[in-house]
Amino acid sequence: MGKKTCWSIIICTIIVNVVMLQWTVEAHYGREYGSILLFSGISIVSAFIALLTYLQWRKIEYKK
Amino acid sequence: MTDKKKLGRNQKDTEDDMINLVDNLNREDDLKYNRRAFLKTAVGTSVALSVATIPFTVRAMLGIAEEDHERVEIAKLADLPEGESVTFYYPTEKDPALLIHTVNGDLKAYNSACTHLMCPVFYEKTQDVLLCPCHAGYFDVNNGQPKAGPPQRELPLIEIEVDNGIVYAVGRQYRHG
Ligand code: FES
Repeated sequence: MGKKTCWSIIICTIIVNVVMLQWTVEAHYGREYGSILLFSGISIVSAFIALLTYLQWRKIEYKK
Repeated sequence: MTDKKKLGRNQKDTEDDMINLVDNLNREDDLKYNRRAFLKTAVGTSVALSVATIPFTVRAMLGIAEEDHERVEIAKLADLPEGESVTFYYPTEKDPALLIHTVNGDLKAYNSACTHLMCPVFYEKTQDVLLCPCHAGYFDVNNGQPKAGPPQRELPLIEIEVDNGIVYAVGRQYRHG
């Protein structure tokens, strides 16, 4: 996985997380508990992906 | 060219404004605000956003456990002629609600805190709408959906049952079609 890919994945997770936060808040207003769990779950998974991607990027970036 | 031959303003550590324009280039900043730092901040942002959803999850988990409603008597149908409404509290003392006997003879009930900024809405029988006086918000009395003004979300619907001329509240739907 190249550095460019890492960058794009991380940017994508930010986008996903912004949307998920917004949806979670809306679901909270609507008391849709199921959706809150779903959106929040997606958000946490996406944060994990960001972290893993970051570790991968660090490996390439600081190798030498 | 050595420093000596330069004009004063071109020498190192000069006070001259036109030369000191480059002072906004700072080597330390270059080390601090670079591509690597940017990526780290981006990862941090992503994680922070996701952490921000966790309080909602926790509340949702607590909420699921307490999701059942009792049957509460609201009013006698005989006391509520068409075009009138009565305030009650459901499901708790903190949730004001409105039971409406519309001019068409339907019975409707909603939580009456406006979904904009919580002002109480009331039934305006001449126009057959629910009106929030605070910022002129209008709700459809037939389904609780916002019609005009600032409110974006519908009023929570209270499910009712009529039994022997007495109206009971039996449940609540927060989001409904
Ligand atoms: S509080 Fe009802 S319209 Fe603003």
